Amino acid sequence: MAKPKVAILITDGTNCDEELFYAFEKFGSDPKYVHVNELRDKSQNLKNYQILALPGGFAYGDDVASGKILAVELISFLKDQLKDYINKEGLVLGVCNGFQVLVRTGLLPFGNLGKMDATLAQNESGHFECRFVKIKIEKSQAKFLDPYVGKTLDIAVNHGEGRFFARAQNLAKIEGQKLVFCRYVDENGQKTQKYPDNPNGSLKAIAGICDPTGKILGLMPHPEKIVDITQHPNWRRGNVEAKGSFIFEGMIKFAKQR
Amino acid sequence: MIYEVRIVSKTPKDPKGQDLLAEIKRTLNINSIKKIRTAKIYRLEGISKDQVQKFAETVLFEPIDQRVSINRPIFTDAVQIIEVAYKPGVMNPEAASLLKSAADCKIPLKFADSSWEYVFYGKVKKEDIEKIVKRLLVNESVEHVVKVPPKTLKISGKTPSVQKISISNFDDDLLMDLSKDRLFLNLEEMKIIQNYFENIGRDPTDCEIEVLAQTWSEHCVHKTFKAKLVVDGKEKLPLFERIKKTASFNKKLIVSAFVDNSGVIDFYEGWAVNGKVETHNSPSAIEPYGGAMTGSGGVFRDVLGTGLGAKPIASTDIFCFAPPDLPAKELPPGCLAPDYLLRKVVYGVRDYGNRVGIPTNNGSVHFHKDFRAKPTVAVGSFGIIKKSKAQKGKPKVGDLILTIGGRTGRDGVHGATFSSGEMTAETIDVLGSAVQIGNAIEEKRIIDLVLALSRKNLIRAVTDCGAGGYSSAIGEMAKSLGAEVYLEKVPLKYAGLAPWEIFVSESQERMVIAQDPKNLKKVAKFAKLYNVEIAQIGKFTGDKRLKVVYKKQTVCDLPMNFLHDGLPQRKMVGKSTKRTAKEKLPSKNIDIAKIWPKVMAHGNVCSKEPIIRMYDHTVQGKNALSPLSGWDYSAPNDGAILEPILGKPYGLAISHGLNPALVKIDPYWGSVWAIAEAVSNFVAIGADINNAALIDNFIWPFPDSESLADLDKSVDACFDMAKTLSMPFVSGKDSLSSTYRYPDGKILKIPPVLLISVFGKIPDIKKTQSADFKKVGSTIVLVGNLDFKNLGGSAYFDITGGSGKVPKVDTKNLKGVLQAITSGIQSGEILACHDISEGGMAAALSEMCFGANCGASVDFSSFKTSLPVMLRNSKQAGTDLVLFSETTGCFLVEVQDERVAKKLFGNAPFQILGRTVKQQSISVNQASKTICEVSTSQLKSSWQKPMEEIFH
Repeated sequence: MAKPKVAILITDGTNCDEELFYAFEKFGSDPKYVHVNELRDKSQNLKNYQILALPGGFAYGDDVASGKILAVELISFLKDQLKDYINKEGLVLGVCNGFQVLVRTGLLPFGNLGKMDATLAQNESGHFECRFVKIKIEKSQAKFLDPYVGKTLDIAVNHGEGRFFARAQNLAKIEGQKLVFCRYVDENGQKTQKYPDNPNGSLKAIAGICDPTGKILGLMPHPEKIVDITQHPNWRRGNVEAKGSFIFEGMIKFAKQR
Repeated sequence: MIYEVRIVSKTPKDPKGQDLLAEIKRTLNINSIKKIRTAKIYRLEGISKDQVQKFAETVLFEPIDQRVSINRPIFTDAVQIIEVAYKPGVMNPEAASLLKSAADCKIPLKFADSSWEYVFYGKVKKEDIEKIVKRLLVNESVEHVVKVPPKTLKISGKTPSVQKISISNFDDDLLMDLSKDRLFLNLEEMKIIQNYFENIGRDPTDCEIEVLAQTWSEHCVHKTFKAKLVVDGKEKLPLFERIKKTASFNKKLIVSAFVDNSGVIDFYEGWAVNGKVETHNSPSAIEPYGGAMTGSGGVFRDVLGTGLGAKPIASTDIFCFAPPDLPAKELPPGCLAPDYLLRKVVYGVRDYGNRVGIPTNNGSVHFHKDFRAKPTVAVGSFGIIKKSKAQKGKPKVGDLILTIGGRTGRDGVHGATFSSGEMTAETIDVLGSAVQIGNAIEEKRIIDLVLALSRKNLIRAVTDCGAGGYSSAIGEMAKSLGAEVYLEKVPLKYAGLAPWEIFVSESQERMVIAQDPKNLKKVAKFAKLYNVEIAQIGKFTGDKRLKVVYKKQTVCDLPMNFLHDGLPQRKMVGKSTKRTAKEKLPSKNIDIAKIWPKVMAHGNVCSKEPIIRMYDHTVQGKNALSPLSGWDYSAPNDGAILEPILGKPYGLAISHGLNPALVKIDPYWGSVWAIAEAVSNFVAIGADINNAALIDNFIWPFPDSESLADLDKSVDACFDMAKTLSMPFVSGKDSLSSTYRYPDGKILKIPPVLLISVFGKIPDIKKTQSADFKKVGSTIVLVGNLDFKNLGGSAYFDITGGSGKVPKVDTKNLKGVLQAITSGIQSGEILACHDISEGGMAAALSEMCFGANCGASVDFSSFKTSLPVMLRNSKQAGTDLVLFSETTGCFLVEVQDERVAKKLFGNAPFQILGRTVKQQSISVNQASKTICEVSTSQLKSSWQKPMEEIFH
């Protein structure tokens, strides 16, 4: 079967693209860097890809708000192409800054392009934070993650604005529709609001969510930075694993079956 | 008209306000303010009210958690409101994003700016506000309090005409007046310029004078390092020659040394790695946030501008400050408080490095009271490049000179000359324009572009625009060919720059490329793709002159040979002052259990975790040894290891060493210590000195005869150690302006810093080690000869009031020790390794225990052998001196058992000390007697507290 094609979307300030590319390649897909300007000048089109991946970084310096300027660009200039891509059930993954972009376009949590129903606010600590935390995968609309449900893994977070926030009504909707696919947990595997296990103060310890179709996913932690054991700070101590693979394996397998 | 849009978060949680309030309480001891809220202000010019409304709704404001107000105050109940904005002319990076987003939404926004409003509640006294503004909120060199809102955001100005300077009539006083605060040249140099122009029968232009001052500045030409030297009556090889000679100690490793923007050494599979370390002390003393940012930016561009373009993959940060609790009255006039400097420098590194996406993997912070007038701020960067592209490119006649990246403004004018001068109480006011705020995203764009052009073979030569701006970059690149530059083609931030200002401005985020004209179209296409502005500003001529033209008027026309070789070699005389270190041991009745936590809390020893956590060290995914590891990720490692090519086993190892306190006491042995410490850190992670190169940074007081003699000794130490270890220096930098002059003329010499960085290759990252103990019941071994007779400059003496000579590194055994450690780690038999440095064995042992959540039991009776100093206190028998001795070149290692230790270290000095234990305490024994037992949790909390308090 042909390898699924992945568009790694880059622009000014994207900086986690190389490791995202590496992870997608490692787990059997065919990634390619696509600059936003190539979509704008039509030399590239999303319809030629099965997965659209938005890497971490500081798109346009995160000016105004993290991911905002790129989100505005996507919903002003590239709205139709993006709509087409999503209607044809293309997969989307946003990591960290990419997640912030997806939330600010409105694609997450409810797939409302142009309407924000949640936000990723400044960390409660008030500053950027780089550390390893634990997340737990749970049952959600992202069906291709089912094989991983219940698993806990060590993962890198590095962001200053990752506090997941939505108003009570929307939060209830997010939970009710099973849109949360991973949460920050403590050493016993229980979801937690305690710093630094929950590194940013996210409501309900939400680390990653999908849309109701389960095809658009975003998360603050960086699965692409923990796909080789040597990327774990404690690989020399033994008893640790590099399990960031779950999201790539899941997505790629799903894209292949379609 | 200008519309003002104010935005505030709906939730009462306001981290920015809370942070400021905590800072006010902590550093200013003002407790009457109840609450501080913050609001963002955007100013928009050139669009209608409806358009402002639309722009606010689509871009600026998010109703989910924010409130907005247009042209109205957003807080109506505040006691006091202070708005802080960048001064007009200081580039606000956010403005460009606002204009871009407006264009994306088809809104014809003309000008935009943003600022912050601080809103105070509670009892707010006028004098308190003044203090807060001055000490915490506003840095007057780049920011101001907005009292009257601006009428327009457009900066206009008339271009000043070119001035001729009638230098031929100047007497010595006038020459020196011209030099002072502007050129920073000495009288002899001024006279050479005067003579040159007399000979050619005309007066120089302002631009020519500036170009000469820049090219001949200490910062750019390193006059001292190239000078003919006589030290204590003995003629000596110039300092730079001595350093360069070390290349022969490991020639096969070197790809290029001291000829490019960074040093380049061999890597694997046709790749090379490069490294450069820069200091940015002068700008950081005045504007720490901007200074640290532009320091990072400059060194990243040095790495990028190496060969035909290298990819920066790592950075390091090393700072020296006065202790954060320095009493305000001890702060020299015109200097900023050390805790303010520390925080702002850290934030600058964070906000620049994280955004550019270059991980900060390694660093350190040192404290000494004499840094109160000027901090040391060093930033390193390391990159990877194809070996086939690692040599400096050579332009050809007819090639175009392209500028890429940021626009040129007045910012950073005189940076090179200013960095070469000493600091005074007035520096901060007079030379504020020499510092600026970096734009990390512009830097990222030019990195993306240069690397894309390099991959497509579209670069003939590239260099960065650093100190001296175009004058330096083009002057260097065209040294052998000559060039013609058209200044009117340089993209400007705003009108009104004099031609000379355009040419020497140090505006950040610019690179210069020599380009074959036939490739121009392709280059322009890539530049467009990456949103980078490029302009063709000149060409390489072949007439060996630097000709600079502004709108057909010649503003500079100098022969390259006068520019680059017109400066005669300096003759300098150094004279050593005899220092006798007073020997004073701490009191006999020291209670080790009480002093140990204090040593752990000493600035040079304590945990820097709060700083490390703010730096992104995992971006790019190449990190193979974290700055911190251990069961709760809190135990520090000695160096960094990266995996430059993802998926390959090869590693790039990086470490550094310095100790200003020791160099101040003994320039030679203090320098030996710094080098031994750097390589010990390198080896402690499993790297091999045979595959590594050194980088030097001398951050020294102005070289009067005494400081010059010290510098000479330090350079001798570098040479001797390089020889001992068979390691070459491949890059380096000197900054000889660590001198402060008080208003009354009194001089404060800032401690001399020798910073040594090491980088090298590792064949397999899996054969490396971290510092945290791995298990309970294993054997702890000390490898190397500990000099516990000399603790001068140690944290222990600093706390207890002791003094003495600096510890003498055992240079005779050093190489053997280092090699035994490397091979023990590579064979997998060393389970943990930590080098002995600040805080001594006490600190190393504690940190290793923190990493495993275990304890240790050690026995010091093997140190007892026939040393009179041990008898000082029969009860402790010198345990304190052994425990707190800071002899680098020694290691604590964890191995399975004594048998392994004997096998690994048979040829090196070593002592079995004890075992790791489950119980969370460290006990130190002399045979059957327990001298002390301290709980690791107590040690850990003392060790973590100091930086947690500063970076709450």
